[in-house]
Amino acid sequence: MQDLLYLDAPTGFSDSFRADPSNAGYLFENSAAALEVDGPLWSGYQVAAVETASLAVTTPSVLTAILPVDDGDSAARAEAFVRDFGMRAFRRPLEEDEVIAYAALFPGAAELYDETTGFEAGVQLVVETMLQSPHFLYRIESSTEAQGDVIALGDFEVAQRLSYFLLDSMPDDELFDVAIEGSLTQGDVLEDQARRLLADPRAKKVVESFHDDLFDAQSYLGASPSPAFYPDAPADLGELAVQEFHTFVERTLVDDQGGVYDLLTSSVAYVNDDLAAIYGVTGVTGDEFQRVELDPELRRGIFTQVGFLAGNATGVQPDPIHRGAFISERITCSELPPPPDVIPPLPDVEGLTNREAIEELTEEPGSSCAGCHTTFINPMGFPFENYDSTGAFRTMDDGKTVDAATTVILDGQETPVANAVELAEVLAESPAVHNCYAKHWVEYASGRPALPEDEALVQRLAAASLDSSASMQDTLIEIVKSQPFTTRSAFELE
Amino acid sequence: MNLSRRFVLRGMGAAAVALPMLESLAPRGAKAGGNATPPYAIFLRQANGVGAAQSTDVGDEPERFWPRNPGALTAESIEGRAIGELTDFADRLLVVGNVRMEFYDYADGHARGVFQSLTGRGANVPGAGGSSEASGESLDHRIGRELNADDRESMFMYAGRNAGWLGGACLSHRGANSRRGPLHNPVLAYQQMMGIDSDQFATLIARQRSVNDLVKGEMDTLLGRAELSTQDRMRLELHQQSVRDLENGLQCSLEADQEAALDGEAAGFESTDGDQVLAAVRAHMDVAALAIACGYTRSVAIQVGNGNDGDTQYRNLDSGQLMENYHFVSHRRQSHGSDGAIIPNSDLLHHYVDRQFAQTFRHLLERLDSYIMPDGQALLDAGVSVWHNDSANGPGHGSLNVPYVVAGGAGGMLRTGQFIELPGGETNHARVLNTLGSAAGLRAEDGSLISDFGDPAQNRTPLDEMLA
Repeated sequence: MQDLLYLDAPTGFSDSFRADPSNAGYLFENSAAALEVDGPLWSGYQVAAVETASLAVTTPSVLTAILPVDDGDSAARAEAFVRDFGMRAFRRPLEEDEVIAYAALFPGAAELYDETTGFEAGVQLVVETMLQSPHFLYRIESSTEAQGDVIALGDFEVAQRLSYFLLDSMPDDELFDVAIEGSLTQGDVLEDQARRLLADPRAKKVVESFHDDLFDAQSYLGASPSPAFYPDAPADLGELAVQEFHTFVERTLVDDQGGVYDLLTSSVAYVNDDLAAIYGVTGVTGDEFQRVELDPELRRGIFTQVGFLAGNATGVQPDPIHRGAFISERITCSELPPPPDVIPPLPDVEGLTNREAIEELTEEPGSSCAGCHTTFINPMGFPFENYDSTGAFRTMDDGKTVDAATTVILDGQETPVANAVELAEVLAESPAVHNCYAKHWVEYASGRPALPEDEALVQRLAAASLDSSASMQDTLIEIVKSQPFTTRSAFELE
Repeated sequence: MNLSRRFVLRGMGAAAVALPMLESLAPRGAKAGGNATPPYAIFLRQANGVGAAQSTDVGDEPERFWPRNPGALTAESIEGRAIGELTDFADRLLVVGNVRMEFYDYADGHARGVFQSLTGRGANVPGAGGSSEASGESLDHRIGRELNADDRESMFMYAGRNAGWLGGACLSHRGANSRRGPLHNPVLAYQQMMGIDSDQFATLIARQRSVNDLVKGEMDTLLGRAELSTQDRMRLELHQQSVRDLENGLQCSLEADQEAALDGEAAGFESTDGDQVLAAVRAHMDVAALAIACGYTRSVAIQVGNGNDGDTQYRNLDSGQLMENYHFVSHRRQSHGSDGAIIPNSDLLHHYVDRQFAQTFRHLLERLDSYIMPDGQALLDAGVSVWHNDSANGPGHGSLNVPYVVAGGAGGMLRTGQFIELPGGETNHARVLNTLGSAAGLRAEDGSLISDFGDPAQNRTPLDEMLA
């Protein structure tokens, strides 16, 4: 809406829309299957449309931006407005019958408003109506000409896919111009446009949103180290960790053009004084976040940062089960069966380290737990035993030296790692990890879980991503240039 | 967004509410005058079981929830128990014990509980654990679908963090693998019900008709396209069903002098602070009671907390401090699993959570009781209000003896003032759901009580024990 009306800030009118439901089996917020317009949401759309249309005709800068020049022919001006604004609202040129229908709203519109008169009343009614149109509310792809198994999308359809994927918003004027010329899918134009959009500040929000969901960063807010054991832990540890995470992702992947390798192995962090104290970094004062280099022997990548560590810990001890299960499922895309319903309590921990207690509980040979815990869960979690419930580094647990060594199974191979730093390197060089990351981006771009048909694209993206100098932006560009992005399946026609 | 209409419920009393259908405000005891108030159902969901007697790995726990003995509910029988918070309504309660949920293969106690609780069905995909979905329609939705005017769906309200275990809101379902988005902010819930107020109605109604004419035409055209996929068609049909002319919500509006801070009361709808969450629940209840009173809906489901309510920290009624998150408390340990340090006295802390839910449920009953309907009865007695739980207890989150606290009586259809214990462990809760659905007004084609809701593999006949 902000972009449709050329506003400097969001209207805020969508704040009162009812929340979308989650959709099991799909990780991201943009699940197409879960986005439905029911009564409450429709009610919200109605109110927002009324408020937005009113805002449009009472804001001079908006009127200047969206109204055609007044040359005295109000009927022609009305039609021109319908064509121009309609194209931007529906992300495509209007059909002639649509132009006629919307232009017909102008006569008599003034009678329908108490406070708006003249031409602006027609503008208000058209805006109010278009914002409730399914053509505005849905991204409709209506091309029907099948070429084999696929239907090539038109330039306007590709433009809106591109814009919503990279900016989470409608196409801008330049992208519309390219679509009007019909050159978007010719030569390098699509890639050039994608790179241009990725430089837009709004792209940072998309990257942040994707990684927020992928790493479940909102769970960091649940970090709650026990005050009895960690009296110096800041009360707002979770909020600080989320801010650190967002800054790290944005700077690493967007500003520094990094990729998966950097995400998993960088020793850079962005901290304020509270987080610096946890990392053992000196010289940082105040609330302002600043870039610091952490000791690469102790910290490598996003999984040795406070958010993941404190967000996956009990109040007292690290939680290697959740840390390990998360990496296995989310980062390597291993499919783990759910845990049993009835989990026996932890054995008496007297005299045992946290790791020893977990091993005793979950790794008894022949038990139903051992199958997953000894292979996919515990080995991915134990390397982080060097990090306590706040994320601070530790070498001792219950008077014993922490044992963080383990052997992980990745890409069908067993690989010994001494600690989390070594695990980070192993993960960063694993084809399975890159495959998993690429698959998640394909899902995000398509708004649905990955399908077998996506596998070829995913493998191609993963192979390119394995190069340690590859950037996330390269992955996104390749998705945009791929056939699945510029076509849709023809099977829906049958 | 700044609200351009009056959004106030705090402090409202029945006498101050501008409900045309309630203007008569017949005094209590007056002879029934108008048509009988239609029955309804309001469901209030709590997670994680209750603080009932049991033995756990951290020790034996005393009974703190259930009445002392079956039979008449008295102040003495519930004193000191969580249900004791409802003493003032004891003669209008039906407490149902020994209800058994089915041990469907959800591979997670929370999924099994919450997805089954209003659907009476197993998992859409067995064994999916935290990625589960329900395999059928929920009772609140069916009541709305069959009994509400204009195909209006039931009101599904939610307070708690919109994320976390099972993805946040997960109680109400249109059908298999089709969970509904909740009304999260009570202000929006009120706004949706009210539709449009008197200030705007006159100028907007004509305009909205012309808007809707055009929009409906576009919807028809889209739906007429042959290439539309089945899923898109279903989505558009739901949308089309939702496009209706603006409703004159005057019946459900409030007087100007009731303008107070619903915004303030509702503000914590996404909080993790239990006080704020329960305040938002009370605001939801205010809206729900008003919606029932003015005939907007006959079905409401209110969910508190996400799948395991694992983010909300409720108040320790002894110390006044916020406790560990509720799921930790229910596990008796500082953990979402079985590890983690033991939380001292956590069974008592669980009881404190139960008491706060009971207090919140009491708020609903008080609000419903304040509406005297044209037929002379309090709105509370015309329908059923149900405080239910996903599971029986913590930390095991068992499915035997899952509590149901039913208030109202649905115009005399259900027994009240009783604690009944069903035959031990044998009564599937699908029978409870069919009883409650019937109490809300659902009927089979032949006019008999329904016995078709939930898993066909279960006995679904209504429970004589619950009927008056």
